[in-house]
Order: sequence, then C-alpha cells, then structure tokens
Amino acid sequence: MKLSRRDLFIYAGGSAAGALLTPAPWRLITDTALWSENWPGIPAPPRGEIRTRFTNCSLCRAGCAVRARCVGDQPVQLAGVAAHPLSRGALCPFGLTGHHLPFHPARLKQGSAEQALGAVSAAISDAGSGRIAVLDLRPGRTVSWTYRRAMAKLNGLYIAPGQSVAYDLHQAKTVLSLGVPLLDGWGTPGNVWAARPGFRLIQAEPIQSRTAALADVWLPVQPGTEDTLALAIANAIENRNGDDERAVSVANELTQNGPALVLDNYGSAAVMALNQSLGAAGHTMVAMPEAPVPDTWRKAAPATSLAQMEDRSIGVLLIDESAVDGYLPWHTIEPKLVRDNPVVVTFASGRGGYARHAQFALPAGVYPEFAEDIPTAVDSPAATFRISTPLVAPPAGMVNPAGFIGALAGLPKSDAVRERADAIHRAGRGTLFTPADAKTVAVRDITAEAFWKSLSEAGCWIDEAGNTQAPEAQPPESEPWPSGSGGLVAILSAQHTPPLMSPLMSKVYQESNLRLAPNWIALHPSDARAARLENGAEAFLQTRLGKCGVRVAVDPAVPAGMVQVGTAPGILDVCGPAARAKVVAV
Amino acid sequence: MTSATKPTQAARYGMTIDVDRCNGCGACMVACAVENNVPPAPQANDRQGLTWIRVYRVDNGGRLAYVPVMCQHCGADAPCVSVCPQHAVDIDPATGIVGEMPQRCLGCRYCMAACPYHARYFNWWDPAWPPGMEKTLNPGVTPRMRGVVEKCNFCHGRWHAAKQQAAANGQPDGPVSYTPACAEACPTGAIRFGDLNDAAGPVAQASKDSASFRLLENLGTEPKVYYRSKRDWVRQIAGAPTPGPGKENSCD
Repeated sequence: MKLSRRDLFIYAGGSAAGALLTPAPWRLITDTALWSENWPGIPAPPRGEIRTRFTNCSLCRAGCAVRARCVGDQPVQLAGVAAHPLSRGALCPFGLTGHHLPFHPARLKQGSAEQALGAVSAAISDAGSGRIAVLDLRPGRTVSWTYRRAMAKLNGLYIAPGQSVAYDLHQAKTVLSLGVPLLDGWGTPGNVWAARPGFRLIQAEPIQSRTAALADVWLPVQPGTEDTLALAIANAIENRNGDDERAVSVANELTQNGPALVLDNYGSAAVMALNQSLGAAGHTMVAMPEAPVPDTWRKAAPATSLAQMEDRSIGVLLIDESAVDGYLPWHTIEPKLVRDNPVVVTFASGRGGYARHAQFALPAGVYPEFAEDIPTAVDSPAATFRISTPLVAPPAGMVNPAGFIGALAGLPKSDAVRERADAIHRAGRGTLFTPADAKTVAVRDITAEAFWKSLSEAGCWIDEAGNTQAPEAQPPESEPWPSGSGGLVAILSAQHTPPLMSPLMSKVYQESNLRLAPNWIALHPSDARAARLENGAEAFLQTRLGKCGVRVAVDPAVPAGMVQVGTAPGILDVCGPAARAKVVAV
Repeated sequence: MTSATKPTQAARYGMTIDVDRCNGCGACMVACAVENNVPPAPQANDRQGLTWIRVYRVDNGGRLAYVPVMCQHCGADAPCVSVCPQHAVDIDPATGIVGEMPQRCLGCRYCMAACPYHARYFNWWDPAWPPGMEKTLNPGVTPRMRGVVEKCNFCHGRWHAAKQQAAANGQPDGPVSYTPACAEACPTGAIRFGDLNDAAGPVAQASKDSASFRLLENLGTEPKVYYRSKRDWVRQIAGAPTPGPGKENSCD
C-alpha cells in the first residue's frame, strides 16, 4: 500500500480529532493550570466579620462548652471554654469538628412527615395493632419529658436505655474500671482529666485501650469475664482472702486506698453490689440527678426498658436517634414489635442507624442547628442544665421529633425548654456560669429573664453539691449476648461514636491508623493469616445473628483469638461483647 | 534604618509534649486540619494521608504509648532547608519557625526524603471539601494546591494575628504570645507551646526537665519540639540508629 501525503494529513487530522474525545487533552489542560497557580479548584475561604459565639456541644451528654469563631454567622472553628467549671476548655475530636456536620454528604435530607403521621395515626386507631412506644436514646432532656407526657396521653410506653448512675471522680482515690473508656470519651473530658491526678486507675480490659495505656495498672481479662472478676473481688473483700491472687490484690488496693469506685459499661448487679460493699453508693456513686421540671409535667409515663416489655406488644415504635448515647442492637428491639405490619418511624440525621429497619426515616436537625438541652453528664454528681444554642439555621424539610410526637398526642404547643428553665429558676438553687464573661452567679441573685438570657447564650446551671442519693439497682437493658462456641471472641471498641462524623475525621480513621473506624475490625496477624486477609481487605463478620460487611485492620495489639470490632450500627446489630464471630474474606 | 528592618528581639518558639498524658484521642490532628484548611482525603490511606501532625502508637511489646509528631522545627541545619532546590523552605529568624512556601514548591519531594521525622506530606489531590463545607474554612489560611509539600508551621496564621494584635496595642517589636491549634485543642493538656528563649516560661522550663527528650537527637538537627516521659522505654524509642560518618543532610 502506498502512503500518500494526503493520507498522512487525513491520518494526522483524524488522530487529533479522535484525541479530543479522550480525557487526555483535558487532563493536560487542568494539570497545566496547576503550574500556572491559577488553579480554579482551590476553594476560597469565606470573608466577613469575625465574631465569637458560644454554645454547648450536644454530640454526647458531656455537653462541653464551645467557643465558636464565626465569619458572619458561619462557624469556622470550635474550641473549648477554659473557664467552664465542668468542661474546663476541653473538646474531643468530634466536638472540635461539629460545625461540619450540617454539610455531611451522608446526611438524611428527605422524608415525608405527613405520610408518617398518617400511618401512625391509622395504626393507633386500629385497636388490635399493639401499643405505641417511644424509644429515646438520650433520656433526661426536656424533649424526653415531652415524649413521656405524650405517651401518658396515648397510653403508650416510654423506653429509655438511660444512665441511672452518676459518679464523682474527684472524691475517689482508687478507680477500678471494667472496660470503661474512662480517659477516652466516657465522661466530660476536661472534668475527667482534672480529676485524674487524684486517683489511682486500675483498668481491667481484654485489650490495651487508650485508657489502659495510661492506667496505673492494666489487668488483661478475657472478654465477658468482667462480672466474674467483680464477684471475685467482692468475695476477696468479704472473706479477706480468696483463691484468685489478682482479685485479692485489687481488693486490697480498693479497700486500703479509699474512697474507691468500680465502673463498668453495663450497670451489672455484681458491680453495683461491689460498689455498695466499698461504700461508694451515695458517696462516689449517686443516683443520676436531674434538673427540676414544672409540676404540670409530672403526669408522665414512667421510663421502662426493653427487657421489661412483653414480646410482640408494640404496634407503633417512634425512635428518636437525633441524639444518641448508645445504640441498642436491632435484634433486641425487633422481638418487641407485633408480627403484622408494625409501624417504625425514626428521626435520624443519617441512614446508618435504625433507618435501615424503619418504614419512615424522617430527617432531624444536627448539631449545631437546633436548640436542645443536654442532660447531666455521667461524671457530674450535681444536676446541670445547658442548652445547645443553634449556630446555623437548619435546612428546609427537617422534622422536629418532639413537635411530631407532641402533635400526635395533642399536647399544646409551647416552649418547653423555657418552661423548664423557669422551673429551675423558681427552685432557686445552684449557680449559673456564663461563658461570654466567665462569671458565675447564684441563681437566687438574678431574675428569671436574666437566667433565661444567659442559658440562651450557652450558660450552664449547676445544682448545689450534696447529692447523696444512692442509685437503685436497674434491670439489665437486654438479654446477655448469645456467646456460643468456636470462632473469635469479639471485643467492642468502647468509645462511643456519634451517628455522623465530620469528613475531617478521616485524619484519625483513615489517613492515619490512629483509631479503628466504626465499620472496621482488627485482627491479630496470626488470625488474619489464617483467614487469608490482609490489612485493608474487605471481609464479612459472621455471628449467629447474621453477617456484616467490614474492612480489616491487622493489629498485633489485638490478642490472638479475639476480634476487635468497630461501633457502626451494622456491626452492633450482629455482634456484641464476648460474642463468637468468624471473619470470612469476601 | 527603617522600622521595617530594625532588628527586633527574636523568639524561638517551641513545644513540649507530655507523652505520659497523651491518650491518642486525635483532637490535635483534627484541630490542626480545621485551623490550617487541610482537606479531607477520602481516597487516602495511612501512607498518603495529609496530616500535619500525626499521633503514632508505639509499644515496647507490653505497654503502649502515643506520640504526636509534627515538624520538629529543627535548628539552623534543618535538613529540608538545605535540600530544597526552590528555596521554598526557610527558617524565620524572628521566630525560629521552619516555614514552607507552597507558591515556590515544585513538588520534587526532596524535603520529604531528607526529613528524618517523616513530618512532611505531599498533597496528592486537589484540595476538595464536601459541597457547602468550604464555607467552614478558616479565612486566615489559604488552602494549598495539589502537587506541593505541606507541613506544620506552628500555626503561622495565628502568629500573624497575634503580631497584628500586638502592633495594634502599641508593641510592634518583640515576641508575641499565641497558642497553636493543637496545643489549644489537646484535652489532656499534654501539648504546651511557648518561647524557648523565655527562660522563665513554662515551656522553656519543661524542656529542661530531666525526663525531657527530643526525637533522633543524635542527628544533631536541634529540634524545638521536646517530649517528656517518665517511662524509660519511651525515651529510648526516641533515639536513632547511630548515624554514619559525617553529618547527614549537611549543606557543606
């Protein structure tokens, strides 16, 4: 074949035209623009007046005080308030990035409240469809009282897997922690660290967690044997001796260096009894205090737990997961629902939690978009009252869970938070801290209007000290986890993670290997080899209750024969503490 | 001599990190990213991540410790300064801060190879935030483009703001007091920041503590970040293998 000059031009022209249809030239243009330093892809930070505003973080019940640096009305940086009497200037990584949550890509933005209201109303009017219930994952708030009042009117149930005990670390000299993440998100970080020099910490835990790493003593224990250890220690205290040398040693420390305190994650009866024998009840361990409420609210449904409820008794379940202190696995909830067409409505900020199981997932506002009070923290023996003051406006279409449930019961519309603030002021007890001027005043010295104004600007009311009410033993929230035999023994990452996290948390979960991401598991290298898994591999975590897709981290700090699991709801639905699990490659 | 060139009393900013108080929560890492507009990198893994300060977990086979590592702001012979062909890295004589100028950086990554602390990070991707989140960027710091090296600069934006504030208060010369984002955010109070030239200051005092040490001290880089631990094994882990003959990264 003879190649003419004309053919050459046709070939060159065709190649040039064809190349325009490939990504190569466009990529070249953008890469060239990079070197010209006129790159249009670099976002421009906002400009405007710099202001300082205050709020309280509502991502967990610690409720740390927050100083927000704002450009105009938009917060661009969050920091703690150093003079705050409880949070003492500290914020956790989640709190530091709370202002990113309104922009989270996985945020739930749509859901029909009208359709949900219609379905719930129809189910309520159908007498044979079971009772209505509210599951409140952060009890003690003002909205919790709204739920209880609504359930009293509707003859419904109020389910609250709440914290019934508060602890005073400042009074303790020896603390035995049975797997509690004491130094890693358990209580108010600033308060815990302020108390830390005053007590000796013994951490009993299967894995060397962040708390165990900084504990004075770390006692490695088998997962699920924490109660056994508590009983052995109680036995050693009672009999002044025992067979278990380790328990005797801990018992000696607890009794000889008091006041002592024992903490666990589940409020077990064994730990409660051990605290009573150590004299902690009513001293370093008290009943969870609560801020006063108006007398008219007292006609409310009592709090109950899932374990106390009859199976197949709930026809309508309303779940408030807009604020979550702990996740109840779905397999503990599902048996309580009627078999035929239960109506499940969840108020959520993302689709990762109960939205996977609900007929209606309604979008709820996220911190710091809505005003809500924060219940007393677990490490505060005195009642507190703080409001998470909104810093940004919520987008259109958000549903207020309290408004929805209140309307269902026909409760009159009112500003319940203001009513409660007035009730606290009428009680005339305690002090009020205002972050803007870092001043503390006695409540009896200010007017109700000034009290409300300060609370609206992120003030913090703290009740008088002297709470000596001993906590009552609580029934377990759910049945013990089915353990079975064979496979790996599961250890939960104890740290609580909020349903939505800032995208910048990738710095600690993904761009470094500092923390185990919620949807990851960690295996000892020998177990990973046996399962033919490499670091970062995709796998299934299988238990008797089902399986869940996970990513695998290979970590020599995890003991062989155990699997450390993250706290994503998908994992928690199939795997609990000390459960037997298998990890299978995808 | 104009006022702009008038010699002023120089500061030597430094940091002390109490390893025995660090619980590895990562607050310093995210606070740094918020302050300095370091973008999230969803595509990244732990080798490519962009973290100006990174908390490493170390162990002695039995116990764990967490060690935050950022640019150690070496002394006069900072390895990254001598290798940069673009003069994009310099040491500010007024502060002792090792600075990085992304506008000059051509992305050769010699400085990353030279840094013995692995404290420099290459910007592999276009700086991108989820839609709308760019409204939360810090107006005091410019995001960097793809293809340049980034690192800790002791929150230079905050230093500028403190300097301006001091000038507005009629004290344009001399060191100023400010706190970088990581030190401000540390909930355990493990990270402290100050002027090492201020002999009576808490940071200079802490740097002379008997339990104080610096990373890879035998390399002679004279870092301005001091660590502290009462645990022997933690102090030993900070040492380096014996360097070879001559001084590494020397510009001589």
